[in-house]
Amino acid sequence: MAKSMLIISRQAPWAGPAAREALDIALAGGAYDLPVSMLFLDDGVYQLADAQAPDAVQQKNLAANLQALPLFGVDELFVCAASLARRGLSHAALALAAQTQTDEQLRELLPRFDLVVTL
Amino acid sequence: MSTLHVLSHSPFSDQRLSSCLRLMGHDDAILLSGDAVYALAPGSEPWASLSSAGVAVFALAEDARARALPGNPAVELLDYPGFVELTLAYDKVNSWL
Repeated sequence: MAKSMLIISRQAPWAGPAAREALDIALAGGAYDLPVSMLFLDDGVYQLADAQAPDAVQQKNLAANLQALPLFGVDELFVCAASLARRGLSHAALALAAQTQTDEQLRELLPRFDLVVTL
Repeated sequence: MSTLHVLSHSPFSDQRLSSCLRLMGHDDAILLSGDAVYALAPGSEPWASLSSAGVAVFALAEDARARALPGNPAVELLDYPGFVELTLAYDKVNSWL
C-alpha cells in the first residue's frame, strides 16, 4: 500500500519556482497513482486567485497545471480558510474548487497522511 | 500520529512559525535549526508565541551558540545525533522548506 502524502504549498505563484515545483510534485505523484493531496496555505492561496495575468511578468500561467490536478488523480485539494480571510480572498472567487478548512479542521486533517511536506 | 515540525527560516522573514503553531497537534513538537533559532531570543515576539503555545520545543545547539542565543530551561538543545534520535521518536517529520 503506497503511503499517502499531503503537499502543503505556501508560496505565492510568480516570485519564484516554489509554487510550480510543488504542483509538479503533486502531478508526478498522481501520474503514478500515488495518493497525493494538496493544501494551499499562507501565500500559497494566491495561486488559486482567478483572472491572473502572469504573462505581464513573463511567467507561464499555472491555471493549466492546477486544472490538471483532478485529471491526474489529485482529487483532494484543501485551502486554509484563515489564509484566505487574511488576504481578503473569498472561496467563491477561486479559480479551482478546493475545500476550505478551518484551523481546527486542519489539525485533524494533517495526521491522516503518512507523509507531509511543506514547500 | 505525532509529527516533528522542522523549521530553518528566520521567524521574522515570513509566517512559517505562526502557521506551524496554528496547525500543530497536541503530540507534535518543533525543532528549530539555522535561522529559525532566532525564535528563542528572550523578549522577542516569536518567543512569546512559541512559549505560550504549550508545545515541546527543541533546537540545534550549534545554531543557537553560533547566534549567541542564551540557553532556556523550556528548550532542549540537541546535537546532530540527538536530532536524528528525536526524529525517530515521532511518527513523521514535516520539514517547512
